[in-house]
Amino acid sequence: MKLLLIGFCVALGFVRLTLAEPEPTPKDERTPKEEPASQEQKSSVVRVNSTNQAFDFFRPWSKLAPFSRRGLGAVIDGGKILVTAELVANSNYIELEKSDGGEKSIATVDVIDYEANLATLRPTHPEFLENLQALQTTTDVKTGDTLSVLQMESNGTPVSTKALVTTVEVGRYAIEDSGYLMFRLSCPLQFRENSFTLPIVKDNKLAAFLMRYDSRSQTVDAIASPVIEHFLSAAAQVPYKGFPRAGIGFSPTRDPQLRRYLKLQDSDGGVYVNQVERNGPAAKAGIKEGDVLLAIDDKQVDPDGDYLHPIYGKLSITHLTTTEAYPGQKVVMTILRNGVREKISVELFRRSLSDYVVEPYSVGVPPRYYILGGLIFQELTRQYLREWGNNWLKDAPQRLVYYDRFQSELFPEKRKIVFLSQILPTRDTVGYEQISNLVVKKLNGQRILNLDQFAQAAAHPEEGYHKIEFEDDPHEIYLDANQVEQDAAQLQKIYSLPALQRL
Amino acid sequence: MIRSLALAALLLASHAVAQTPRVVDIRKSLVRITTTSQEPDYKVPWNPGSISGGVGAGFVIDGGRILTNAHVVSNARFIVVEKEDDPQRYPALVQFVGHDCDLAVLHVLDKGFFQNTRPLVFGGIPAIESPVSVYGYPIGGERLSVTRGIISRIDFQTYTHSGIDSHLTVQLDAAINPGNSGGPVMQDGRVVGVAFQGYSGDVAQNVGYMIPTPVIRRFLKDIAGGHYDGYVDLSITYFKLLNPAERHALGLPDDEQGVLVSSVSSEGSSAGKLRQGDVLLSIDDHPIASDGFVQLDGERVDMSEIVERKFKGDPVKLEVLRDKMKLTVELQLKGNWPYLIQANHYDSPPRFVLFGGLVFQPLSKNFMDAYQVEDLRLRYFYNFFITDEIYREHPEVIVLSNILPDPVNAYLTDLRFQIVDEINSKKIRGLDDVARAFAEKSDYYVIRFVGSVRPAVLERSAVEQARNRIMGNYNVQNEQYVDGSVIR
Repeated sequence: MKLLLIGFCVALGFVRLTLAEPEPTPKDERTPKEEPASQEQKSSVVRVNSTNQAFDFFRPWSKLAPFSRRGLGAVIDGGKILVTAELVANSNYIELEKSDGGEKSIATVDVIDYEANLATLRPTHPEFLENLQALQTTTDVKTGDTLSVLQMESNGTPVSTKALVTTVEVGRYAIEDSGYLMFRLSCPLQFRENSFTLPIVKDNKLAAFLMRYDSRSQTVDAIASPVIEHFLSAAAQVPYKGFPRAGIGFSPTRDPQLRRYLKLQDSDGGVYVNQVERNGPAAKAGIKEGDVLLAIDDKQVDPDGDYLHPIYGKLSITHLTTTEAYPGQKVVMTILRNGVREKISVELFRRSLSDYVVEPYSVGVPPRYYILGGLIFQELTRQYLREWGNNWLKDAPQRLVYYDRFQSELFPEKRKIVFLSQILPTRDTVGYEQISNLVVKKLNGQRILNLDQFAQAAAHPEEGYHKIEFEDDPHEIYLDANQVEQDAAQLQKIYSLPALQRL
Repeated sequence: MIRSLALAALLLASHAVAQTPRVVDIRKSLVRITTTSQEPDYKVPWNPGSISGGVGAGFVIDGGRILTNAHVVSNARFIVVEKEDDPQRYPALVQFVGHDCDLAVLHVLDKGFFQNTRPLVFGGIPAIESPVSVYGYPIGGERLSVTRGIISRIDFQTYTHSGIDSHLTVQLDAAINPGNSGGPVMQDGRVVGVAFQGYSGDVAQNVGYMIPTPVIRRFLKDIAGGHYDGYVDLSITYFKLLNPAERHALGLPDDEQGVLVSSVSSEGSSAGKLRQGDVLLSIDDHPIASDGFVQLDGERVDMSEIVERKFKGDPVKLEVLRDKMKLTVELQLKGNWPYLIQANHYDSPPRFVLFGGLVFQPLSKNFMDAYQVEDLRLRYFYNFFITDEIYREHPEVIVLSNILPDPVNAYLTDLRFQIVDEINSKKIRGLDDVARAFAEKSDYYVIRFVGSVRPAVLERSAVEQARNRIMGNYNVQNEQYVDGSVIR
């Protein structure tokens, strides 16, 4: 049953999920808002063609079919090209192409940050960029400003489209868990055979990067320049330290009954801390669930969790701890606990992927697996769940979905979820055909908290048998250890597996 | 309207004219049942519910009783029975109902009803391929209808009326349509089953099911004590021991015998008696094959059939291999209440508490069906209630199911579908706890939810001010209903 399902599911890569690609429109229907790009704009963008190939999480030893993405990159200082991370996620081959004459160069990824959805590329031949002009950035963007979205005709002629800034806010980027400053623009864009990774400029300075376009409402979600500046400044250092986070979840305190109960003055503002990430910066500093966060440094927090930004106005405090600050930097959080004010210094740091129990994205890294006698064991990732399609929250195995969603509440220790994903039938698996997607508790008596531990325990069968214990029915199964070893080569051959494990 | 029967099925041409002697006989036994029922609305639990009507069949059995399906008379407010050849309509009452086996016994107040009736007698399980006749009042006309077919299959099937119980079921290829429900399936002048469910024509052709006589006899025997106790269960899950390595590791020979106990419900009959990892070798001296089947009356049937025929308090003897040692386990059978959360419920109004416009309801199948909840935590609590023994901490899972908008709760709308953990620091293990916590005088009512969720705070003064306003605006007659039957 489950094996059948797998056949029908088309893997949805992290990239494709977040892009709304509109119907192509005829190229010559130029809207009045379009005009040829200026000379400066022309000389600071290049076309980027990237051939990407994602791993197949249902067959973790394979890759899915390769596909191409095209977008525009912005030339920046240091002989680099700035693009969205989505454009070059899982890239095998990246090609740069100049607007005039179509001269090409191969490029490699220099630094990539999937959470901030930005990447810098480096041409293999630095001279490729010689007569191009680096774009400077500007953060001076206000609601009501008109910016220009740059595109390129198929013949290489750059085109610029006017876009009105309608909203400046913190919003979701390519990964569900990360929110950063975003400019929302209103702009009629034509689809020009490239995907929507496009530079947006203001007075010939880079103001934003288009990452999503909704053709129906003609709205653009763009990576805002403060995020770009943060990324570029972090990317200038080795190792790349990225964006920090405070590690708290909060909810508004608008409710007057809640405010009176918490003994909050009307002038206080403040948000209710309902979640503190285990081992996150706030937790380490001693912030607790139930605290009311009143201020970060000298910025007052209003009851909705906003503060007053000098340029952008009301903005979520998330921006303060993710983008205005850098990893290693300290902020002072003023909190109210049991009616008493306290100041707590919080050292912000980045949450690395390995700190997640279930990694929220898996790009460019091959999935880990271990095949024991035809049973495929993997570490749970959200990408695996996503392979069930757009409706994965309902269609994917419910325990695994629950573990992913509530991972920060459920697991006190640093661990991964090792599970039996499916079975390649052999004589070792007779009678086990129906079982799949079961979380492993123990192997040969050892508690399993990651796939390495699983591999180690697999080296120590008990009395000639591997005993595998699961969280759900059938709770325990056995394999004949000698037989599994004898059959390994045959298993690999029958199912054409390049290897029986990747750790 | 027969609820669990497929409505979309097209009526097949029936061989219907009442001419054969058998049909004349049946006219003395067949009963047409017209039910007016009221379906509670779990989304508006204080409403009495929408009224609907339906027609089903039943038949006279010994003791001046009528046997029919539970689903024909569930949630009934008024029942009328009619006989063939008698224009009078007789009001009837449900005497016993078994929702787990979809059977009910009615009695008629006017004893004159049974004059000139002939109680039907029961036969055994008919053989595969043997012919049967089905009687009832299916769509397509008003009068008695008969269809014929043969026995296609004998197997365990889910009874859709409860949605969770499975019992022995016999499949036949006679046309069974809405209105056949509760009618007798006859062979050689004896009842061999009660027609009760089927598939709509666009899913499968000529697939109808009847409740066979072992299930019927069990029901009649159960109610003979004046009360229906319902089915009992070992309350375990087992795994077929088909893998040679697994058999050897457990110390079993290659004799294709034994199944592995994979979980034991801590509220069921086997709690403390069986363990996960035990191998069941025989049940009441019937050897259990490695696929979980036993030989019973010359047939290979699922081992649960042994327990299926037993009653509350009956003993069962199991031969068990535990840690490679043989031992005999005897246990007394009982039901397993936690699974009822996933069963359809009838005949009891939904329980709820309304406070400050917040509606609190216990989690149940009816609840999930009504709200079509997408909240991941709530879906987990529902789906894993039994397997993860959520009932240990939350015997009743209390959900903030709805918020009737009012100034008192203007900032709480995002808390909908959260699961209540505590109210004023008191652990909530059931709806009664909710009612009690709100009945206590307190300036603030602080409702805490499961998980990293902010609390809801209600001030008593604000709730009191809002009370009449909310009840008036939303036409709420009662603020709470906690007396009804608890799933336990």
